[in-house]
Amino acid sequence: MAIPTLDVFQVIGDPSRRKMLMLLFAGSMTINNLADNFDMSRPAVSKHVKILETAGFISITDVGRERYCSLKKDGFDEMKAWISYFDKFWLSKLQKLEDLLNNKSLFDEPEK
Amino acid sequence: MTKLIKHQFSFPHPVETVWEYLTNSDLLAAWLMKNDFKPVIGHEFQFRTGPVASLNFDGIFYCKVLEIIPFKHLSYSWNCGPGDGEIALESVVNWDLERTENGTTLHLEHTGFAKKENLEMYNGLLLGWVEKLQKIANLLNA
Repeated sequence: MAIPTLDVFQVIGDPSRRKMLMLLFAGSMTINNLADNFDMSRPAVSKHVKILETAGFISITDVGRERYCSLKKDGFDEMKAWISYFDKFWLSKLQKLEDLLNNKSLFDEPEK
Repeated sequence: MTKLIKHQFSFPHPVETVWEYLTNSDLLAAWLMKNDFKPVIGHEFQFRTGPVASLNFDGIFYCKVLEIIPFKHLSYSWNCGPGDGEIALESVVNWDLERTENGTTLHLEHTGFAKKENLEMYNGLLLGWVEKLQKIANLLNA
């Protein structure tokens, strides 16, 4: 089954995948255990699991014949990176605006 | 984690001047980004900047004017993504101008990142991460 590449928000925008992350938050589970919680086919569950893994939300470890899913931190770091980017972005832009307005007062406005 | 970004700047200029810098396309371009902004509710416009590879961002912000109260308040949607108009991040930028004794205090609030439930999800999952990862490690090592 082809696994689409989704961004972090699309990944957790899906209710089934959110539920999977919530279940895994309580501890790691096998894909079979996970599938027991959903009213969907096993391949459908596997596809969601694969999407979560590709996006860095979970990791899959083979233990014997079972595949264990565990939460992983990378997916969440991406969202944090966006917000941190915008925070710095606005600060530098507003400083630029301040510079512009300061220059304006020098050249365009009469002295008080 | 912060749910929103807040900045506050004070300028020794009247609100009319600061408003001009927020709503005139050419003036906006001088300090923010190239744009086709118009101070008309519902107007769809873009801001363009350089792409950011680490964020998988193509450098275009897709925006729509949401609210205008002249000299007081301006808000627009602020969406962006990896390219071809695909939207990966949805947010809203709010500007509020406050007339002060010495000029103007400008408040910026950049908020609404993704959907609310996603953020709650994120915050919920972030709590006790280290503890949780430790538990998983213990389980796997058991």
